[in-house]
Amino acid sequence: MTIDTLINIGINIGITIINIAIVFAVAMLHVAYATYFERKVIGHMQVRLGPMRVGPHGLLQPFADGLKLFFKEDIIPEDADKPVFYIAPIIFLVAALVSLAVIPYYQGFVIADINIGILFIFAMSSLGAYGIVISGWSSNSKYAFLGGLRSAAQVISYEIAMGLSLVGVMIMAGSLNLTEIVNAQHESPYGMFAIPQIIGFVVFVIAAVAETNRTPFDLPEAESELVAGYFVEYSGFRFALFFLGEYIGMFIMSSLAAICFLGGWTIPKFVTNVLPFLTYVPGIIWFLIKVYAFIFFFYWIRATVPRYRYDQLMAIGWKILIPVALVNILVTGLVKILL
Amino acid sequence: MTVKELVRKIFFVEIIKGLALTLSRLFTHAVTIQYPKERRPIAPGFRGLHALAKHPQTDKAKCVGCGLCATICPSQCIHISRAKGTVEKYEIEVLRCIYCGFCVEACPYSAVALTENYEYSDYSRDALYMTTEKLLSNWDKYMAGKKGEEYFKKFWRPLSEDFGTPAGQAVFRKIQNAK
Repeated sequence: MTIDTLINIGINIGITIINIAIVFAVAMLHVAYATYFERKVIGHMQVRLGPMRVGPHGLLQPFADGLKLFFKEDIIPEDADKPVFYIAPIIFLVAALVSLAVIPYYQGFVIADINIGILFIFAMSSLGAYGIVISGWSSNSKYAFLGGLRSAAQVISYEIAMGLSLVGVMIMAGSLNLTEIVNAQHESPYGMFAIPQIIGFVVFVIAAVAETNRTPFDLPEAESELVAGYFVEYSGFRFALFFLGEYIGMFIMSSLAAICFLGGWTIPKFVTNVLPFLTYVPGIIWFLIKVYAFIFFFYWIRATVPRYRYDQLMAIGWKILIPVALVNILVTGLVKILL
Repeated sequence: MTVKELVRKIFFVEIIKGLALTLSRLFTHAVTIQYPKERRPIAPGFRGLHALAKHPQTDKAKCVGCGLCATICPSQCIHISRAKGTVEKYEIEVLRCIYCGFCVEACPYSAVALTENYEYSDYSRDALYMTTEKLLSNWDKYMAGKKGEEYFKKFWRPLSEDFGTPAGQAVFRKIQNAK
């Protein structure tokens, strides 16, 4: 190897590290304000105000919360399986954070443009379930244990429905690469796969809510029955890691929805043909609008729908979503072959 | 399951109705009152902290120590002692009071009142044991001037001038002339 190639490799690594730092910092800031956004939206939907005291309209609340969690006492149960207890939140958070690497934020900006982007995100969200299961096991508490078990069952069941719902997208785009999926949508006459893949989209939305353990599928942390579920015994910064992981997971699912069904950073051509000035808006803005619309939808559902019973949850997943997704794949495949 | 029910289930009709309701609430005003900054308006005749009424001319307590208030008080939180025809002690144990307002109603001289002050929490029981001086100073603080004069007339009946004979009844000429 010559010096030149070494320098090139060094520059590439440097650029990648800078990209990672940017994405990490921006994602953390977004997570902080996603909590604020959630509390405000749900508060106003329940005719309350939400946070108002820290800063104007409570704008500094996320930082106050972070500071509070940072200085809280780190309590570890006496009978906990300590090494496993320590590692569980880290597995959960890292599995969520790593998925940020394969998401294309706009044309050409993606940390790792790998050809199996969708599969990578699936793999990572399954790994996140390990964090939940072993945190429930190692806490040595019945609530945490039940929460962990429920979460394992739920995530595994809904992963199948979610994977199948995205197969239709894969068939239409002919690729697993997220950038190529967005480009394929831009080329297609509809501009976004949510229109021809409406069934897949609905299945995906329901499965995504279940996958991120949010209301109405928040059985793993059902406050009224399990206190807080799998992270009941965690306090201080370890709890904050779970919290961060959960919100990043929500961002990943919203990004996946925006990329696979809503056209990512592009807008449909039939819109730009009518309103040509919209092409001057940078792609990242369209991407963020779509992501935040989806996150708003998460909050909206949380403010509206009560929690499902455990057997109902399983029935919806196995008896409805999976068959519907399979039929959707069949129809999409037939259309692809015949037309 | 009828076709109608099936269609309602497939298109999430019930859930969409619920979502529409929560979305419509998103754009309404919150009902929250941010307490120390904003306060709920106090209703007229509000029953808060106690006070002993002062006579507007003499600036002394109107109370004559008849003990009617202490007798009617359901929680027995009023303690009165008299000596040589004067009221020596008039004390109210605020922590036991149930704010029924019977004492105000029973008093023939309009001598005891419930003020509009409701922010008097404290760290000790002693601070909430109202002695005569405290009760009189409460009157100066919350019922001074016109407010105190109008208070009994507006909200409390009967008053001492209500205790008369019906208009048609025969009375001594002297009293009739006085009227």
